[in-house]
Amino acid sequence: MQTHARERIKEKIHHAAHVAGQILYGMTVFDWKRGLRQQRGEIERLFILITFGDLVGLPILPPYYTLRLLPYTVPAINRWKRSLLRERDLTDLAELIEGVD
Amino acid sequence: MNAILTLVIAGVGLGVGYFYYAKNINKNVFQPDDQKATPAKMYMDGVDFTPAGKNVLFGYQFKSIAALGPIGGPIVAAQWGWLPGLLWIILGTFFIGWVQDYASIIVPMRSDGDTFGALSYKLISPRARGILLVFIYLYLLLIMGAFGQVIGINFLSNPSVPVGVLTVILMGLLAGQMTYKMKQDIILTTVITVVVAFIGIWIGTLPAVSSAFTGLNDALGANGKKYFWSIIFAIICYLGAVLPIWRWAQPTNYVSFWVIALGMAGGVIGMLIWNLQGGANFGDFPAFTGWTVAGLGPLWPILFVTIACGAISGWHSLVSSSGTARQIEKESDALPVGGGAMWMEMVLAVISLLTATAATGGWDAYLEAYSGGKFGVFAVGLANFLSHVGIPTTFGQPYGMVFLTIMGLTICYLVVRFMRVASAELLGGAVPALKNMHVGAIVALILSLIVIWTGVWQTIWVLFGGANQMMASLALLIITLWLMKNGKKYAWTLWPCVFMYITTIAALVYTAFWKALPAISAGTKVTGNIIAIVVAIVLIICALILGYDGLQALNRYRKGEVAPAAK
Repeated sequence: MQTHARERIKEKIHHAAHVAGQILYGMTVFDWKRGLRQQRGEIERLFILITFGDLVGLPILPPYYTLRLLPYTVPAINRWKRSLLRERDLTDLAELIEGVD
Repeated sequence: MNAILTLVIAGVGLGVGYFYYAKNINKNVFQPDDQKATPAKMYMDGVDFTPAGKNVLFGYQFKSIAALGPIGGPIVAAQWGWLPGLLWIILGTFFIGWVQDYASIIVPMRSDGDTFGALSYKLISPRARGILLVFIYLYLLLIMGAFGQVIGINFLSNPSVPVGVLTVILMGLLAGQMTYKMKQDIILTTVITVVVAFIGIWIGTLPAVSSAFTGLNDALGANGKKYFWSIIFAIICYLGAVLPIWRWAQPTNYVSFWVIALGMAGGVIGMLIWNLQGGANFGDFPAFTGWTVAGLGPLWPILFVTIACGAISGWHSLVSSSGTARQIEKESDALPVGGGAMWMEMVLAVISLLTATAATGGWDAYLEAYSGGKFGVFAVGLANFLSHVGIPTTFGQPYGMVFLTIMGLTICYLVVRFMRVASAELLGGAVPALKNMHVGAIVALILSLIVIWTGVWQTIWVLFGGANQMMASLALLIITLWLMKNGKKYAWTLWPCVFMYITTIAALVYTAFWKALPAISAGTKVTGNIIAIVVAIVLIICALILGYDGLQALNRYRKGEVAPAAK
């Protein structure tokens, strides 16, 4: 009975430490990781644009060998189109300024 | 009254507000459904939309919203006594603050991840988006003015501060280099840079070092000191605004975070120890000094814009809608992330109020510290708290000032970065030179320096709060309209919106015509007061247009017309 209670307390402490660690991560390096992910996403978006830009009306002539990329690109096409064509304004950049208040 | 009792009162407010009121609204009005795909999952593109866990997002949201605002506002508002500020912080968060922050996540989340710019265009009127951009630009300019005066004129010119600040910045640059170029482990990077940053802060307090800056300040004279240090402030902001974000802003913020977080943790522990020893009392600090404070104005409406962040802040709605709402993994995470972070900011504001009241030890000590540099009260209070964990005040006080300076700097260079992008976007067509990042940043800094050099600090602070609270009422209006459109209960957002709208307009009118105008007639700080009047009038006009469009939209949705205003 006592062992069971001790295990539960141990588990709770582990859980609390895990939550605290995640919160600290969110306050510190999460932004770095997110920034890197965003950079990669933007490069990918640009890559699809220069290879399959004709799908959104960009007057490019896709070279023959881009067809070899098609199987990899097809699953991302809808997401890419939305991401590329989504209307943006300056309020999109508000998250750039952290801790203003 | 003492520190622990104040924290207990705030804790009761938090408990009832979060666990009863907020959870009730969450359950009965928005009814989050974890089976629904959020925009982060549905549109995951690795750029704007990416899901993240609620604990991580809570940390991210809190760091994004909490900085100098919740620290500065309560310190200024303590001039009315400790009670009005404490009540507004708790009740403002209870009825308005969390409401806005939480709904600013859930409404964009239910609207395909639209930001408040897009939502104001769709729900109110096309010109509402333009008005929001005016609020944002003026808000940022006023931030530069308010923080710039405190940092550039009051703190950087303190002989014990510059070496500490410079070390923290250099350690930030080193952290970026170690992480991105040398591919070093983040823990090793953190330990080296943070330890050296603290050593630098300590070296800055040594008499041999600080006396060199005292000599420099003496040689510059009162005016020269003001211009010299504010230009140093502008140069730091310029570098932060034009250099790649990974090289300057991001790693500097990271090292600063540890310097600030360790100070806050030490301060809170010191406060508790001091209180248990029978100290940390408010002493002769009055609960209420009167309805009007000289230099600030009447309790209503000025208190409600003086403490913006910490009770309710419009900027949170922008950060929540453009950043957090697009990363929410499950609908039910919106309350702990948005609401929870706001309640934590309330606790930060209460702690800041305690540094002005319990830590200074009395009314005269507070007034003396305040006259020495507004936010300087916080540095004095923090040093007193830290002295109870064994850190001498000769180090604690300069540390508190470095803490506030880097906290402000990390914001200001991001603000200049935003301002240069905003001017390129808005005016780049008409003035192509503004598309050049250096020109954009320099224009933003020149405007900021004009406000810093000419402005009256308390007036700038009230206007900054006014622009912020106007954004809050706009955010609450958008949320109300969305609720009406979707047939949900909306009184809980409409009345806070009306209160913030009327209060903010009253504060702007008072500041422009009862403070700045008489000051011009008396020949005091004429340029700064003229700028203040112009800013206040622009904000009032924008607010009136917004009020008109908002009323039209309210009538439209009340009649059941659900077609958006925008074509």
